[in-house]
Amino acid sequence: MELHILEHSLKVASIAKEGIQICTHGLIKLAFLPSKTRCKFFSLTETPEDYTIIVDEDGFKELPQSEYLSVADATWLALNVVSGGGSAASSQPIGVTKIAKSVIAPLADHNISVFMLSTYQTDFILVRERDLPMVMHTLSSEFTLLRVVNGETVAANCSGVTNGFVKPKLVPRPIIHPLSSPSNMFCVTSLDPDTLPSVATLLMDVMFYSGKEMGAQNEDSGHIRFFSFSLIEGYISLVMDEQTTRRFPNNVLFTSASGELWKMVRIGGQPLGFDECGIVAQISEPLATADIPAYYISTFKFDHALVSTSLSMFGE
Amino acid sequence: MMGSSKPDILWSPHHADRYVICDSELSLYRIGAVGTSEAKAGALLLSEETAATLLAINSDTPYMKCVAWYPKHEPECLLAVGQANGRVVLTSLGQSHNSKCKELVGKEFVPKHARQCNTLAWNPVDSNWLAAGLDKHRADFSVLIWDISSKYSPEAVPAEKLRLSGDADSGMVVTKPLYELGQNDACLSLCWLPRDHQKLLLAGMHRNLAIFDLRNTSQKTFVNTKAIQGVTVDPYFQDRVASFFEGQVAIWDLRRFEKPVFTLTEQPKPLTKVAWCPTRMGLLATLTRDSNVIRLYDMQHAPTPIGDETEPTIIERGVQPCSENVISSFAWHPSTQNRMVVVSPNRAMSDFTVFERISLAWSSTTSLMWACGRHLYECTEESTGGGAAEKDIATKMRERAQSRYGHDTVQLWRNHLLAGGTDPQLRSLWYTLHYILHRLSQYTEDLEQRQQGSKQSLIYSGIKNIIKSSSGTTESRRCWKGSDRPTDVAQYHSEERSLALQLCGWISCGPDVDVEPFLKSLEQEGEWERAASVALFNLDIRRAIQILNKGASAEKGDLNLNVVAMALSGYTDEKTSLWREMCSSLRLQLKKPYLCVMFAFLTSEPGSYDAVLYESRVAVRDRVAFACMFLNDNQLPRYIDKLTNEMKEVGNLEGILLTGLTKDGVDLMESYVDRTGDVQTASFCMLRGSTPEVVKDPRVQCWIENYRNLLDAWRFWHKRAEFDIHRSKLDPSSKPLAQVFVSCNFCGKSISFSCSAMPHQGRGFSQYGVSGSPTKSKVTSCPGCRKPLPRCALCLMNMGTPVSACTGTGKSDEKVDLPRDKKLAQFNNWFTWCHNCRHGGHAGHMLSWFRDHSECPVSACTCKCMQLDTTGNLQPSDNV
Repeated sequence: MELHILEHSLKVASIAKEGIQICTHGLIKLAFLPSKTRCKFFSLTETPEDYTIIVDEDGFKELPQSEYLSVADATWLALNVVSGGGSAASSQPIGVTKIAKSVIAPLADHNISVFMLSTYQTDFILVRERDLPMVMHTLSSEFTLLRVVNGETVAANCSGVTNGFVKPKLVPRPIIHPLSSPSNMFCVTSLDPDTLPSVATLLMDVMFYSGKEMGAQNEDSGHIRFFSFSLIEGYISLVMDEQTTRRFPNNVLFTSASGELWKMVRIGGQPLGFDECGIVAQISEPLATADIPAYYISTFKFDHALVSTSLSMFGE
Repeated sequence: MMGSSKPDILWSPHHADRYVICDSELSLYRIGAVGTSEAKAGALLLSEETAATLLAINSDTPYMKCVAWYPKHEPECLLAVGQANGRVVLTSLGQSHNSKCKELVGKEFVPKHARQCNTLAWNPVDSNWLAAGLDKHRADFSVLIWDISSKYSPEAVPAEKLRLSGDADSGMVVTKPLYELGQNDACLSLCWLPRDHQKLLLAGMHRNLAIFDLRNTSQKTFVNTKAIQGVTVDPYFQDRVASFFEGQVAIWDLRRFEKPVFTLTEQPKPLTKVAWCPTRMGLLATLTRDSNVIRLYDMQHAPTPIGDETEPTIIERGVQPCSENVISSFAWHPSTQNRMVVVSPNRAMSDFTVFERISLAWSSTTSLMWACGRHLYECTEESTGGGAAEKDIATKMRERAQSRYGHDTVQLWRNHLLAGGTDPQLRSLWYTLHYILHRLSQYTEDLEQRQQGSKQSLIYSGIKNIIKSSSGTTESRRCWKGSDRPTDVAQYHSEERSLALQLCGWISCGPDVDVEPFLKSLEQEGEWERAASVALFNLDIRRAIQILNKGASAEKGDLNLNVVAMALSGYTDEKTSLWREMCSSLRLQLKKPYLCVMFAFLTSEPGSYDAVLYESRVAVRDRVAFACMFLNDNQLPRYIDKLTNEMKEVGNLEGILLTGLTKDGVDLMESYVDRTGDVQTASFCMLRGSTPEVVKDPRVQCWIENYRNLLDAWRFWHKRAEFDIHRSKLDPSSKPLAQVFVSCNFCGKSISFSCSAMPHQGRGFSQYGVSGSPTKSKVTSCPGCRKPLPRCALCLMNMGTPVSACTGTGKSDEKVDLPRDKKLAQFNNWFTWCHNCRHGGHAGHMLSWFRDHSECPVSACTCKCMQLDTTGNLQPSDNV
C-alpha cells in the first residue's frame, strides 16, 4: 500500500451562518470558477452550526478576513491511501473502513489528531504539518510513503526522526462522545465538471439559501441540514440528503448502480476542538471490525460518519 | 452544454473514404473527389480536389466523452461511446438494415459507480473486448473491460441492485465487466499492446503508466511519470509508445520502461492530441490547444534504448493545414500516405497531405539519390562516350586515378596523356613541370661549372620572377634568315630570357639557341600553323613557308595553308605597300589564331605587338616566349605581370609557367580548384613544389587530404597507398610515424624498438617478417629477452616465421616468380590481430580463415573479429 502525502498546505476554517454573505463571492469563485484561481483543493460543508471550509493557501486568499471567519491554528497536510494493487476481491471494504486499522488507529495511538474528509473519489486524512515527522514515523512500517513535490511523486524519506518519540499507549478506545443520528438519509455523489455550469445556480441555492426556508420544518422531523461540496484536483464530490438530490435534473448526478443511501451519525455534544485525538478511531475501528462501509467527514465543530443503511446499527 | 465541446474526428478503420466528426452528436461523412457524381450539391469542399458529403447524423448519445470505432470489417459502422457518467453505449451510423449490428446497437455497459469515462479502446485481436478508462472512485475500479457479446444475465447481478435510472430495456444493459483493473485511481488513457493482445497499457492519475497482463492481473509493470495522457503505440514499432502531459510528449520503449527514451521539445500550450502516422514509420503528429499548427516529429532515425545513449535525431516540422484557422482536432488517413483531415472548432474541415521531406545524397561516385515518401530516385551520369555534356570532374578524376595519372615521374609531360590528353590546360601544366624538372637536372649536372644555387630556386619560381631578375639585356637587330636585309625589328637577349624560352619549350638547354628541334616536334604533331608562326617569330620566313607547304600536302592537310604561304611570301617591309594594307585588315578574318598572329607580327609597328600578345587563343607559352624575344626591359615585366594576374584570376593552369610552384602558383591553383574541383591535379602538381612552404600551405594540404579521402571513398585503397608513397618521396615530412608497436609478452619491450635501439645486433624490423624478404626472416624470439614471439592462431608457428606455401590457396608456390604475387606473399607474412580478443596470426591465414568463418580461429573464443572491423568486409574497388 502506498501513502501519498499531498502537496497542498491546507487551512481549516469556519464561517458563521450569519456571516456567509460576506464570503459568497469568494466561495462561488472557488467552487464554480476553478480556472480563475490557483486553488486545487476546496471543500465546503454546511452543518446546522456553521460552514466548514477546507482550502489550500491559494484558495484561502479568496476569502475575506472578518469576525465571522475563524481559522484553525495549524496548517494541515492531506494524506491519501492508494491501494496500488490491481484487482482485489470485489467485496473490498469501502472508504474509511479500509484505512481505519492501518492509518487511523496507529495515528490515534501516537496521539496524532486527524481531520477526515471523505469524498466520492477517495478519503483524505488531514494531519497537522508539524505532526508530519511523527506521522511518517508511525506509518512507515505499513506503507510506502510517497510525497508529491511540484507535481512529481517522489519517495518520502523519514530517516532521522525515530528518536525521542513517546511510545504509543495501546489502550482500548471507548466511544466517549455522545452520538446522534438524524432521520434523513444521505447520498454521496459526483457530477461531470462539464455539467457544473448547468447546475451552478441550483448548487448555489442549496449551499447558501436552502437552510433558511427549511430549517424549522426539518428540525421538527429530526432532519438535519447537512451539505458538502468539494472540488479537489478537478474532481467534484457532493454529499446531500435524499430530498436535496431530487431537486437535480435527471442524469446530472452520478448515481451508483446500487443507488445506495447512507445514514448519518453525528459525533459530539460539545464542539470537539482540534486537539483531542482518537475520535475518528473510536468510531471507525468498531465499524471496520464489523466490516461496515462508511464515510467520515470532520467539520469545525463536530464529526460526521455516514454508514450504509442496511447495516447502520452498531453498538453504542 | 455539450455544444461547447470541441469536435474530434475519427477515420473509419476500413473505409478509406469515411470519417466521423463527434462533438455533441456523431456525423458520418464520405469524402470524394470534387466533381464526381458522388459529391453532390451539398458537399463541403475540403481541399481543391476533395469534398465531403454528410451521410448520417446520430444524436442518441448525449454526454459523449470519448468514441472508439469497432476495429473489424463487420459490423461496419459500429461505434462505442463513453459518456460523462461512465456508461459505454454501442451505437451505429447509417447502418439501419444491418442485422448483425442491430443486436449490438443500443447495448449499454454500466459501471457500479458513475463517473466520467475518459477513454475507450477495442482489443485489436479479440474485438469483443472493449476497455473503458474511468475517473476514480473511492471504492471502484477505473478500468473496466467489457465483453460486448455478453448477455445480461439475472444471476450475475442481484435484482435489488438493478435500480437503474430509466433503463426500460434492461436486456441491453450489462453491469458485469469481464475484468476490473486499477483500484483507487483514475484512468486517463489506455491502449492495448499489439504485441500481446492480453496486455494493456494504462495511464493513471497517480502519475504512473502501468502494463497489466489480463492473464495475471495482480502483476504489473509500472513507471511513475507525469506524462499519462494519450498513450498510443507506434504502429510500425510496437514497443514504442507516446504519451503526453501538458506541453510535453514522452516517448517510451516498453522493453526499457524505467524512463522515457526521450522527450520532445516542450510546447508553450497544453497538448490536445498526439497521433502516430499509420502510413509512415516513426512520424508523430501533435496538436496543442488553440493552435493552427500541427507539429510533426520524424523519429525514423531516433535511437533505440538498446543502443548507445546518443542524442536523438528528431526532425521537427510544423504544418499549417488551414492557414489561420485554429485546429480543434485532426486524424490521419488510415491508408493514403501522409494524408489527414483536420477540423476546426466551428466544424470547418480540410483535407490535407503532409508533403514528405526530400532527402538527398551523393554517392562517392557521381550518382545522386533522392528519396521522397516511398519513392527513391537515382540519377547517374550517362556513360555514353563523347556526349555533349562534359563529364563530371569526379568521374574524370576517378578515370584518371585508374590510369595512374600523376604517377609518371620520369616523363612528366606524359601525365597529360594519362589524364586523357584532351585538356589543353593540363597539357600546358605538365609540359611546364616537365621543362622545369628537365632544366633543373641539367643544372644539377653542371653544378661544378657554375654556381647555381640561386638559379635552382629561380627555375621553380616561374618566368615572372626569372624576368624580374633579368639584367644585362642586349638588343640586336637580326636579319631575316637567308636574306641580308636587316629588319627593323629589335630582338632582346639575356641569360634569363633564354632560360624563359627554355621553360616555354622553344629552345632546349645548352648554349645553342636553335629553335629547329622544337619546330620539328611541332611538325611531327601536325601543329603546322603553330610551327610556322614560331619559325616566323624566329625571323625565318622561308622555314615558315616550308612548314605551311608541308602542312598543306600532309595527309588530311588543309590546302588553304598553301594560300597562306603564298601570302606570306609576298611580305614586304614597305610601310605603304598594298600587301601590308590588305594583310592587316584581312588577317582578322582568319579563323586560325596562329595564322592571324603571323600577319599581325608582320604588319605591326616595331615594339608594339599587342595584336600578338593579347591574342588569347594563342597558347600562353608561345605568347610569353614571343614577349621574351621582342619586348624590352620595360615592357616585358609589365606584360608578364598583367598576364599572370589574368591567369590567376581565371585559374588557368597555363599560368603556372609564369608563377612557377610558388605561393603565386598556389593562388592560381586555388582559383583553378575553385573553378573545377580538380584536387587531384592540384595535389600532384603542388607536391612538386620547390620549397617546403608551398607544400605546407594549408590549401595544398587540404587538397591532398581531400584527394586521399576521395580515393578512400571510392575504395581505391591501393591507389591511395600508391599516392601516399608518391607523396612521401616528394615530401618526406609527410611520412607517417609508426603507429603500431609490437611489444614482447614477457619483457614488455617493443621488438621493433629494441632492434633500432641496438643497431649493433644488426637486425632490422624486416627480420620479424613484418616487412622485407620473408625467406631470410628466421627470428622468432624477442631480441630483448629471447623468449618466443606469439604464435599464429592457425599455423601455430611463432611470429617471424614466413607463411608456409601449403596453407591458403596453395597456388602461391607456382606463381612465386611473379612480382605481384611476391608482394602479396609478403603481406601474407604480416602479423595481424584482433583489437578485441587479441588473437591473431599471419595476415594471409587470417584472411583465408575469415573468408569462411565469422568467429575467431582460437577455440572457445567467440569473438566475431572480422565483423568488428567496419571496413573488413569491404572490397577494394581498384585492382592491385
